[in-house]
Amino acid sequence: MATNAIDQTRRMLSLVTYLRERPGARVGDVARAFGITEDELIADLDVLPMCGTSFRGGDLLDIDTDGDRIWWHNPDDVAEPLRLAADEATALLVAARAVATLPGLREGDRQALLRATAKLEAAAGEAAGASSRLSVTFESEGGVFADVDRAIAERRRLWLRYYSPARDELTEREVDPIRLFAVGHTYMEAWCRLSEARRTFRLDRVAEIRLLDAPADPPPVELRDLSEGLVQPAAEDPEVTIEVGPGGRWVAEYYPHDSADELPDGGLRITLRTPDPTSLRRLALRLGRDGRIAAPQDLADRARQAAAKALAAYGE
Amino acid sequence: MAIAKAERLMNLALCLLGTRRPLTKRELRSSIEAYVESFGTGDGPASSDESFNRMFERDKDDLRELGLVIETVDGLEGDVGYLARRDSNRLPPITLDAEEAAALGLAAKIWQQARLAGAASGALQKLRAAGMPLAAETEDIDAPHSALEPRIPAHEAAFEPLMLACRDRRPVVFDYRKSNAAHPERRQVEPWILECWRGHWYVAGWDRDRTAERVFRLSRITGKVRSRQGAFTAPVPDHVTVRETVESWAGETATGSARIKLRAGHGYPLRARALTVRALGDGWDELEIPNGHGLDAWLVEFGPDVVVLEPAELRADVIDRLRAVAKG
Repeated sequence: MATNAIDQTRRMLSLVTYLRERPGARVGDVARAFGITEDELIADLDVLPMCGTSFRGGDLLDIDTDGDRIWWHNPDDVAEPLRLAADEATALLVAARAVATLPGLREGDRQALLRATAKLEAAAGEAAGASSRLSVTFESEGGVFADVDRAIAERRRLWLRYYSPARDELTEREVDPIRLFAVGHTYMEAWCRLSEARRTFRLDRVAEIRLLDAPADPPPVELRDLSEGLVQPAAEDPEVTIEVGPGGRWVAEYYPHDSADELPDGGLRITLRTPDPTSLRRLALRLGRDGRIAAPQDLADRARQAAAKALAAYGE
Repeated sequence: MAIAKAERLMNLALCLLGTRRPLTKRELRSSIEAYVESFGTGDGPASSDESFNRMFERDKDDLRELGLVIETVDGLEGDVGYLARRDSNRLPPITLDAEEAAALGLAAKIWQQARLAGAASGALQKLRAAGMPLAAETEDIDAPHSALEPRIPAHEAAFEPLMLACRDRRPVVFDYRKSNAAHPERRQVEPWILECWRGHWYVAGWDRDRTAERVFRLSRITGKVRSRQGAFTAPVPDHVTVRETVESWAGETATGSARIKLRAGHGYPLRARALTVRALGDGWDELEIPNGHGLDAWLVEFGPDVVVLEPAELRADVIDRLRAVAKG
């Protein structure tokens, strides 16, 4: 992990405070306490002996390590715990408040978080003020969340009735839950025994859920890397081209795409890949006069036919 | 090789924290190795004085970002002196138990934005240095923690400048493209609050040109967010309602109800919010659902599986949309 100078300085200031209180601290323990790798810690320990309150005559910090334990031979009272910066207080308080509002959070965890938040607000003092200018709300799918959370804790299988918007249908399946995560909406990553593959389920699309007595037995799978976004189309997925007018530009905001080229009328030509192009029939219908599927032709035809069939019910 | 910035900042911080009396710029320059190496001790050419001054100002700003309170004291024989007093930089006593520490540890992980992620782990490190215990590593089967891994994305380039502008109450100007507009328009805004809802970021503030409160979606800001000189001109309200505004855009505020026919076995989300459902017996059900802005576009998505009965206006809108698609 690349560290920038600001983060490293911040960390080293805390490190000297920490080391003063713990002579002979173990490298592994300190790295864990600071949430960094042992290599990052060793890099910090290489810098610290070059630092000191040098104005008073060059007394540098005499900190060294044998690779296992860390010793500070001339501990200095300069190393007192430092107050929180405005950004630090904001980052922690906003996160804590957001997590505390998650409806499925266990009561014990919520209480611990609320206690910690109150203590933190008090200790941060005026640095806590700016934290009210940032706010995060997670979606609430409380009942389903609690069942999934329990299934993960007890390693039990789940039965779901799940809604697929692409096909506009409910399917029943048994899944072995792996983890819950929240990115805007709350999702469950699970091994689906129907498709024998890893699947991601959005909790607000779970119509019904039941805990089964059978133990969950998901095969070992590598967890999805969420930093790249939820939808990661594969290179071999079919390509679809959609042309939208100014009123359909929102498509580029909601659908991950390969390209979005400006059109002369203020619209966009959007190219995207999807494993299931028929799911875009919904999009074509929704767009109305604000856009259309340009390719492939059979998909464009299908949207037209669906609209014609729907119009027939109105006597057209 | 030039001395690394982190080492220079660390030395400056320790000097300012260690001293009992204000230190002049000259004293700091001659006692910090990185400054001496780059600029000499002050008897070189005047150009090196200027670049030293610039670096010194930036370094002080960086340390202030880390939370250090650096006082500027006038009148040391005409020179300005600097010091970081212990009592104004000390963290007040705070005692967190292992449960509270674990809860904060989970919360600190939710930021995917680099600056806030760095700030959150920095805060944890300060608390750890002040004695906060490590969360227990062993899995306690009787009281396991929630399995949730919440994440807050903030990929929008506008996020960080707006966060700082909200924090420091600085007016900004940016180009903004409304969802249905072809071209962006310049907006001058006094930003109040950033809010993340359903995974998207919004900023609420005072729009100077429209002299009204407005909510902007960050992904629709094109180009750079620039700060403006000067202070806010409009009062900041105590309570800002970002969610309510966005909900009304999304059509979640019902203004009445609609009657539709829905093919049996289809349209689960419509059924989930239906006020009444009645089986018609011919493979169709009749539903009463809340009607609001955007319902026509949503109903059209279901194609031939939905027929709108009333109100007539909604029926006409849906037919109009279907005609556009049927034409191709």
